[in-house]
Amino acid sequence: MMNALKKTPLNKVHRDLKARLIDFAGWELPIWYTSVLEEHRAVRSGVGVFDVSDMGRVWVTGKNAGRFLDRILTRPVQKLETGSSMLNMMCLEDGGIMDDLWLFRVEADRYLIVWNAANIREKHDWLSRWSGSDPDIAIEDVSADTAMVAIQGPGSRHMKCLSGLADLPRFGYTETEIAGLKAFAARTGYTGEDGFEIITGAVQALPLWESLVEEGAKPCGLAARDSLRLEAGMLLCGQDMDSSTNPFEVGLGWLVDFDRGDFVGREALLDIKQRGVARKLIGFQVDGREIARPGYPIVKSGREVGKVTSGGYAPTLDVNIGLGFVPVELSAVGTAFDIMIRNRPVPARVVSKRFYRRGV
Amino acid sequence: MNPKDYKYTKDHEWLCPEPDNKAKMGLANYAQSQLGDIVFLDLPQPGAQVEQFKKLGEVESVKAVSDIFSPVSGKVLEINQAAIDEPKLVNEDPYGAGWLVRLELSNAAELDALMDIDAYDKYEAEALAEGAD
Repeated sequence: MMNALKKTPLNKVHRDLKARLIDFAGWELPIWYTSVLEEHRAVRSGVGVFDVSDMGRVWVTGKNAGRFLDRILTRPVQKLETGSSMLNMMCLEDGGIMDDLWLFRVEADRYLIVWNAANIREKHDWLSRWSGSDPDIAIEDVSADTAMVAIQGPGSRHMKCLSGLADLPRFGYTETEIAGLKAFAARTGYTGEDGFEIITGAVQALPLWESLVEEGAKPCGLAARDSLRLEAGMLLCGQDMDSSTNPFEVGLGWLVDFDRGDFVGREALLDIKQRGVARKLIGFQVDGREIARPGYPIVKSGREVGKVTSGGYAPTLDVNIGLGFVPVELSAVGTAFDIMIRNRPVPARVVSKRFYRRGV
Repeated sequence: MNPKDYKYTKDHEWLCPEPDNKAKMGLANYAQSQLGDIVFLDLPQPGAQVEQFKKLGEVESVKAVSDIFSPVSGKVLEINQAAIDEPKLVNEDPYGAGWLVRLELSNAAELDALMDIDAYDKYEAEALAEGAD
């Protein structure tokens, strides 16, 4: 028997729209509504709306909250001003990646973490372990009482119901009202486009979704979420990186700041940085129409040298692209290799991970 | 609507018999809707021999790759170049412009192992009900 899937506050919407539903990290979510290609293109040229309620939302508050987060995150929170947000990372003691996350500093001693649905229990255990019994640190997971919706695409800032957010700087956020509903809105996203991510109460999710769709936002599923983030060269935790990879080999070394006191993983990460990495996560383009899917071997001169971690069709570029690990000496842009696609070698070459870059 | 003069497999391929022991085959509507947007078709070259219910080619959608099985044994006469060039034809018109392969049957008796429209409609409805849970 499979465990019952968790349902987001927008589950009924997905069912009413007859979306194809799948199990995503224990959540029942739409993979697409009608067509992943149409959904992808809507976000690149107009506006798409995604139910991202699977993302974990955790408040960390109290006098020692900042000190605690500094201890478990790779980027210091002192550098984060109240009213702003930053990408951050949580590593294990050996430097392996636990998750990447968005951190919002809402008040001097009040932070909001937004992170991936994967390994949620493990991550909570980790928070408990490092916060110990300190009465000046409070950790509250509000994921079940709230919903989260992403509105992405160049048209996002022109939507009437989001007009109050038009002046929000990139990565900025505000606590506001949208379509008369209380909401926490940030100018963030996972698609490579301008847009907003909005957290609201579970019961308010449906009216928020409806007002967005009424104004023309196209409902988009997980498949478009994946193809959009891949085109933009964004990594998916649990797929392109996990506890067996470190920030330096996946190109996220800039998220590790050693210019401060001790933090979890510091010693190991410093050692990795000083020794240098043996392999790198690179972007590649396939010279063929087959899709290089996760797990497919990367081959050079008849020898397996790495594996694909993400791969797919890039609708905006009309080519097949992907991410994968290769030895450092094969990581320069232009390097050619083969990918074994169902036992056939298909030529591919290293390209910049930023496959798609939006215009200004 | 699934065409009523076609025959169907359990893997959701269709076969449309033509005179002189020839037939066209393709993917049933259920198959294309489960796959989603199709981006690549790998089909055998004309002249190739195929066997009933054995792998004939591959269909790749944005989300997954699947084998295509031949509804009957025989020789490949023709493949649909338009669908190879523009795989979305299979999504848009699976029983018409999105056909895949034209075959010459080597054993007409194999048709008896395929489902007719009544059997297939029922089979498809069961598959849909299962997927909806």
